[in-house]
Amino acid sequence: MLSYTIRRIMIILAMLFVACFLIYLCLDLMPGDPISYMVDQETLGEMTDVQKEAMRQSLGLNGSVITRFFNWFRGILHGDFGYSLTSGVAINKIIADTLPATIELSIAALLFSSIVGTVLGILSALKKGCVVDNVLTVAGLIGMSIPQFFFGLVALLIFSINLGWLPIGGRMEAGQSAFFQRLPHLVLPAIVLGLFLTAGIMRYARSSMLDAANKDFLRTARSKGIPEWRVNLIHGFRVAMNPVVVLIGLRLPMLIGGSVVIESVFQWPGIGKMFLVAVRGQNYPLVMMIALLMIFATMVSSFLIDLLTAAMDPRVRLE
Amino acid sequence: MNVKQIKLNRQMDAILAREEAGIFAPRSRNRAVSKVLANRLSVFGLIVFTIILVLCVFAPLFTQYEPQKMDLRSILQAPSAQHIFGTDSIGRDLFSRVLYGGRVSIGIGFGSALGATLLGVGLGCYSGYRGGWIDTVLCRFSEMFTFFPQIILVMLLVTMIGQSTSNLVLVFIFTGWCSIYRMMRAKALSLREEEYVQALRVQGISDFKICYKHILPNALGPIMVYITISTAAFMLQEAALSFMGFGVPMTTPTWGNILNVANDLSILKANWWVWLPVGCFITMFVLSINFIGDGLRDSTDPSQQG
Repeated sequence: MLSYTIRRIMIILAMLFVACFLIYLCLDLMPGDPISYMVDQETLGEMTDVQKEAMRQSLGLNGSVITRFFNWFRGILHGDFGYSLTSGVAINKIIADTLPATIELSIAALLFSSIVGTVLGILSALKKGCVVDNVLTVAGLIGMSIPQFFFGLVALLIFSINLGWLPIGGRMEAGQSAFFQRLPHLVLPAIVLGLFLTAGIMRYARSSMLDAANKDFLRTARSKGIPEWRVNLIHGFRVAMNPVVVLIGLRLPMLIGGSVVIESVFQWPGIGKMFLVAVRGQNYPLVMMIALLMIFATMVSSFLIDLLTAAMDPRVRLE
Repeated sequence: MNVKQIKLNRQMDAILAREEAGIFAPRSRNRAVSKVLANRLSVFGLIVFTIILVLCVFAPLFTQYEPQKMDLRSILQAPSAQHIFGTDSIGRDLFSRVLYGGRVSIGIGFGSALGATLLGVGLGCYSGYRGGWIDTVLCRFSEMFTFFPQIILVMLLVTMIGQSTSNLVLVFIFTGWCSIYRMMRAKALSLREEEYVQALRVQGISDFKICYKHILPNALGPIMVYITISTAAFMLQEAALSFMGFGVPMTTPTWGNILNVANDLSILKANWWVWLPVGCFITMFVLSINFIGDGLRDSTDPSQQG
């Protein structure tokens, strides 16, 4: 297990490094003077040309791409992400302001979709061929076919505007910051963001549960006189969930990508919305940093999923 | 005898009668095709798919309005006999916009899916069969793509190379080939050791020919399924991107571009006909493709039976 973990970490680190390099290349190819996003705007206005040249020299900006990349990379490692082009605020600060909202939303969506998805999937598998199963199968396909933002808009119209049950958007009212006061704001975005994942997990849990139902060890369990619910939910569930966990890991990038769309529908002040604003304003340093952060997040989560599956299924480790 | 048994007996009798009458002779129809047709959801999907496709392809036959023609005397009119879906905020007929927009949306979805599949299958088959450094490089490369949230990458690339329909298709192809590549590679990797491949090699047939003529056809089922499913996925992505203003330029009507107006809360509240029919069109079309894809998978993939 230890050697497996170390090997995975090495691969992740290597890929992260490559991702950094590619991001830097993109950043480097973008039009504009790199100094403009390395210093904040006010200082930049006061600098003379000579000072700027001296700064370029000291930052190594006149060197080759490789040296420039390593200078930039050293900054990243020290937590120096540069400055936003439009507002002049340090990117670290922007990320620190918006990241918690996105993490909150993603975790809520992930929890919702894994719980609802597995429960419905198992229900569907146990009732195979019944009305419940057919309805759930079609509902799952509809969930995968409806554009997320369209579903979000319809939900917004019905539950917030017409029925007035839930707030229209945003993360909290002014002056309310306790978690339970914020909860109504979280409900719709989390469900809408999780919808696609829920449908996927449901379909997967169903087929994986049906797969497990034919295994010998379940027959053995049954023949031992273990009650049917226990056979299904304890013995079958454990085996059936393994591929589902892998699926959740594979779909995580979609969740992170989906947050860009959903945050803009629900005016959620997260990193996805910030990304959209930055891309629209051609605020390249901020765009690249957010992209890097998202790659990092997906890599780390996929690494954790790998570890989880390896811990659950010893065969994986030998690959 | 309970009801179930009686019913079963009757069915058996019916089969026996047909057998005796000689109707049960082997049918000439492809087994996979007949299985798709036996799946009610797929048939429903095929019907909806065909209806929408015909409506869009032959758009001029179903509407006399130009999709881009503004009519400032009829702004935001509710659906009526004249304008089936009503008009939008600058008086364009929405029904004709939906039909003409469907051409572009479906074209983007299908074109990107086809392109991504060709690229993925082409690379996957060869790299799986040959192995070596090409394989290693491509494998790592495709892994990189799976780590990148696709919509983020697409947005980055679209802003970098500029917004246009053909650029969007290119970006979709560039970002979408990985999963079919991995599938095809795995298939080629496992078939490489088969005896028939060894036999072909001994005969001195070129690698190229072995790959694309003798290994590739084994994966036709999953490839077809992938094309349908990724058409659906690309159409959804196009809609989401256009909704946010990063897809096709607003001058071309697409389903996503028409939905873009729903960003405006007042239109969302008061003028349901501007966005609801388009949203339903996208959903129905994607759903029908997914139904067909499901049916195809059930009929071509033996591990998915039941």
